[in-house]
Amino acid sequence: MKSGALALLIVFALRPSAAAAQAQSVAVNRAFDFEQAGRMREAIGAWRQVIASGQAAQGMLGLERIFAALAQDDSVLPPLDSLLTQTPTDKVLRGVQLRVLRSLGREQDAHKAFDEWVKLVPHDAAPYREYAGELLADGRASAADTILQQASAQLGSTKALTIEIAQLRAALGLWAAAAAAWRDAMLAEEYLEQTVVYSLQAAPIAQRDSVRAVLRASTTASSKRVLGSLELQWGAARDGWRAIATLTAADSAFNTWNDFAQDAERQGAWLAARDAYAAMNKMRPSAATALRAAQMSISGGEPASALDLIASARAELQPVAIRTTVLPLQIRALTQLGRAAEAEALVAHDSASLDAGTKRAYARMIAWGWIRSGQVEKARAAIAGGSGDDEDEVTAWIALYDGDLAKARGGLRRPTEATAEVLTAMALLSRTKADSSRSAGAAFLALARADSAQAVVRFERAADELPDAAPLLLALAARVQSARHQDGPAIALWQRILTQYANAPEAAESDLEWARTLRRKGDMNGAVDHLEHLILTYPQSALVPQARRELEAARTGNAQ
Amino acid sequence: MKSVSFLIRAAALLAALSSAPPLAAQHLLVPMDDSQQNHLKAYGLTFFALKAGDKAEWFLNYRGGSFLLPDDPALRRKAALDGVTVLPIDDGAVAAARKEIAAGNMDAITLEKAPHIAIYAPAKSPPWDDAVTLALKYAGIEYTQIWDDEILKTDISKFDWIHLHHEDFTGQENKLHLGFRDAPWFIEQRDNDLAAAQRNGFSNIPALKKAVAGRLHDFVDKGGFLFAMCGATETLELAMAALNVDIAGPFFDGTPMDPDADSKMDWTRAFAFQNAHLEMSPGVNAMSDIDGHQVNVPTRRQPLGQFTLFNFSAKFDPVASMLVQNHRQVIPDFYGVTTSFNKAVLKPGDVVLATEDGAPWVKYLHGDYGKGSWTYLGGHDPEDPQHNIGALPTDLSLHPNSPGYRLILNNVLFPAAKKKPLKT
Repeated sequence: MKSGALALLIVFALRPSAAAAQAQSVAVNRAFDFEQAGRMREAIGAWRQVIASGQAAQGMLGLERIFAALAQDDSVLPPLDSLLTQTPTDKVLRGVQLRVLRSLGREQDAHKAFDEWVKLVPHDAAPYREYAGELLADGRASAADTILQQASAQLGSTKALTIEIAQLRAALGLWAAAAAAWRDAMLAEEYLEQTVVYSLQAAPIAQRDSVRAVLRASTTASSKRVLGSLELQWGAARDGWRAIATLTAADSAFNTWNDFAQDAERQGAWLAARDAYAAMNKMRPSAATALRAAQMSISGGEPASALDLIASARAELQPVAIRTTVLPLQIRALTQLGRAAEAEALVAHDSASLDAGTKRAYARMIAWGWIRSGQVEKARAAIAGGSGDDEDEVTAWIALYDGDLAKARGGLRRPTEATAEVLTAMALLSRTKADSSRSAGAAFLALARADSAQAVVRFERAADELPDAAPLLLALAARVQSARHQDGPAIALWQRILTQYANAPEAAESDLEWARTLRRKGDMNGAVDHLEHLILTYPQSALVPQARRELEAARTGNAQ
Repeated sequence: MKSVSFLIRAAALLAALSSAPPLAAQHLLVPMDDSQQNHLKAYGLTFFALKAGDKAEWFLNYRGGSFLLPDDPALRRKAALDGVTVLPIDDGAVAAARKEIAAGNMDAITLEKAPHIAIYAPAKSPPWDDAVTLALKYAGIEYTQIWDDEILKTDISKFDWIHLHHEDFTGQENKLHLGFRDAPWFIEQRDNDLAAAQRNGFSNIPALKKAVAGRLHDFVDKGGFLFAMCGATETLELAMAALNVDIAGPFFDGTPMDPDADSKMDWTRAFAFQNAHLEMSPGVNAMSDIDGHQVNVPTRRQPLGQFTLFNFSAKFDPVASMLVQNHRQVIPDFYGVTTSFNKAVLKPGDVVLATEDGAPWVKYLHGDYGKGSWTYLGGHDPEDPQHNIGALPTDLSLHPNSPGYRLILNNVLFPAAKKKPLKT
């Protein structure tokens, strides 16, 4: 009996407050409904009822929204003043007061209200946080700085204001300090990550390295995730991936990687997306994730790693799925690698189950594969019977190899993939006005066949044939020589560019590459000479900041 | 390859000359406000000019504390290579600048000669960086590295300026034995110091460091300039004031601290502080109550805020003005073994250069002692507020506009100024 009586007593004790809560909830919902429907007059009445029901803060926020929408902010003040008389330290109400006074342009009154609030709660960071936040939102960093300094003096510490301090430093352009403050703030509040990314992504290019250094110095998962997102925003997705790659399962790595992969994919950062999907596949193997990673790998121009991923997915899939999802990727990867014969064999194996349209599409890919390996005749054979359209990319590459620059120019105007080869070809085609060059075509063909020695000879010969693109062609020849570790011939080419084409865009690049080669060989003085020459001769070159960094390293003998 | 190198040098010089702005300019103004691309290397450029025998002027409070250098192809070349912003100006523009300087809280100070600088640092670098060494190296300012033997056995009066950073002049190795007594670097450092002590006739490290502190005291007394940062500030003061008192714990000299050490300190020998209280517990990683932040004592550690540089009258307080030239007045604080200086222990004659509003400590101090002067800046590394042992050194190429590092470099050029009587 006793326990039953006790239970009854509790029910009765709870009943009135539950009823009140329900009534309050109904009143709030009703006010929101009016507000949503744009029935402002009724909404004002409804929010006043919410205030009357005891929810002063929520009601006042409602009135603030509505009167702001009606451009009648001053109407907020009478009810607000009377509420503040009853609860003068209510943070929400004080916040509304500061916002309204400032939106009315009554700065002095706002400051007075702030001072009054501080006087009431001298050990509370809330007034400073609210007011400094308002000023920062208005871009008044110096005024916010004053308030935060006042907070530091009054409270003896700014620990409770780390977020505002971080925002302030970002607003003042003190990016490294802002990053450090955000890093510290995230130690206590992980949810800030998106805010931090938003704040720091505005760092100018010259300041980004200092932001990176601060975040890299921290080992927390939050700092890594923030750096990953920032790098993605700043167009350095691979660095972004490196920042988050070391996350562990305990740091929700899988979800972080998934979000990163999708963002990277949306931005066309294929290889970063590939790395993330591949890591996900390693953590929780799945055919869908592996194929996604393979897709990214192919799009990013690394088809070899795609083949490995495809092989790992294949074992889990049914034949139909293999034909519809795996085969297209496999063909694409193989043809990108120039392994057209293997692609042809795969298509032939499944030929009976492929429709005519699919076969035609594969034939084009295989033609690409032949082109990549420099087998022009086989490429022609693969697309025999196709459109033969001048705008077709495959046809354009064949034309380029034939030395028909005019036809190649038409087909490569809008390439489907911006690979290094495509960009190099486009650079040449846009640089020269000539319509044909046998040597240039032969050079690209030699490159496709991986015959680098022949490519160098042809590029140099093409430089004589196409004077308007000579420095570019010589720089291409030098790049190939450098890649072959033929430093002497590469240097001779850079010297020729610097002597004969000192005003060409390739001249600064030649100095930088020459310096790098000398540094590799231990000739620091020579490297310094070339870096200095670059900086002094081409002060407007985009390579100057990099040259300064390398000059510093060459002078101090630091490795880079 | 030699001839190619020569050609490249010649071509670079020609290029520098041909790309230079108007040849009519007679001066190069090095602005130090936000238009400057590389504030830190700008000091190096000025030092380079002084070293070459040129005279320079420091326009205090004018465009962030800018420098006026003679227009010279070598200077233009160095500025271009270092990415330092210089503005070629003629006599008319200089006259206009002087007029503006005369009318406001600004002044022009002549810099006459490149100061002869020494940095007190061990031969083998410990696992932390030294902000001044970093700053001087990055700016390209020459210095001589000295250590205990040089201080004790050679004539250090040949240096205009001696810098101290993280070293512990109480001889207690910053009490790092509390956390690192088995670390190879700690053992090596202690053994090296002990060997230096024995080499110089002292039985232990505290005795050696006390003697070194005494020599530094005399260096300033006789007219030298001393700049110290981090733990060197506090421990140098303690070592100087503890001439006849044992203030080292048993780990370092085998005997406990004198229990009456506090009352036996002779603060008249100290430059900046008085009536400070020693940390008597050997197990607490603090030296005294001079430091306001006590970073290595978790229960006492104070959070970092930001400090504000005072704006002195350039015409009446040129020295203090030189030391605070900056393009930022408010600078984020940074920890060090000694981060700040409690106001309660300052001597009345100290000039406070920077303080944290409302805090019971100050950040940056200057004063005269005997015929010389000293400057103390609390904290370890302005661009690494929480610098930890073993952390990578700060890469200053990422912070070419660091306002904190500018304070260090102000001290480097300050001894180059032509002596001017102080009016306050």
